[in-house]
Amino acid sequence: MPESSFSVWHGIQRKDINWHPTIDESKCVGCGLCVVTCSEKRNVFGFDPENKKAVVLYPDNCMVGCDNCRIACLWDAISFPEIGQLKQLADLLVEQGTIENELKRKLEADSSLIVS
Amino acid sequence: MTGGKIWHGVERSKYEWFPIINYDACTGCGLCLLTCGNSVFKWSMSKNIPIVANPGSCVLGCTTCGKLCPENAITFQDDPKKFIGKIVRENKIFPQVRKELDDRLKKYPDHVITEVQEVARK
Repeated sequence: MPESSFSVWHGIQRKDINWHPTIDESKCVGCGLCVVTCSEKRNVFGFDPENKKAVVLYPDNCMVGCDNCRIACLWDAISFPEIGQLKQLADLLVEQGTIENELKRKLEADSSLIVS
Repeated sequence: MTGGKIWHGVERSKYEWFPIINYDACTGCGLCLLTCGNSVFKWSMSKNIPIVANPGSCVLGCTTCGKLCPENAITFQDDPKKFIGKIVRENKIFPQVRKELDDRLKKYPDHVITEVQEVARK
């Protein structure tokens, strides 16, 4: 999966957003749950079978705001940046009207999303 | 089998997990609907607010919409880490995870990392 497919998030360059997992190798037991919890189309992780460790391979494929891998890790081996910076971005995007415009377009394109 | 969604071998429908919207706080910005990759939300045109229309499609333990919500208007049934930890333990999912990992790496061989690559990456 090329990294470019997820290159923009609501008009912001994905590479400018600090949001991806970091693995503490000393805690990772190589169970692989993070690897397969991440969706196949994003596929952020690689795996080192010899050392039984998950590896963050494509950090910029990580879905902004998602930390399901961290949540699934029983060994607390995965960390993410603070959520505060994303909240600030979300606030700005709403204030600017970016989200309202995107919502309008999405609802126009797919009327099945609309209930009375 | 119900033919429903499966989470690492566990039937999704066995567990309750979906966003709960606090409409006193919700401003109807729509970011939750745009963010969700599983079509959990629909939109009420008359009230101009999101509706949790497909709760069973919500990924177990996922709180992405809640984390991004500018008004913190979305909560879930439980702490996600506690919730997932319990499911992982009570269903002994690791043999299934192992199989999924093998399948994933077979399908995407560029995700198999050797020690040499790993050292080079650092």
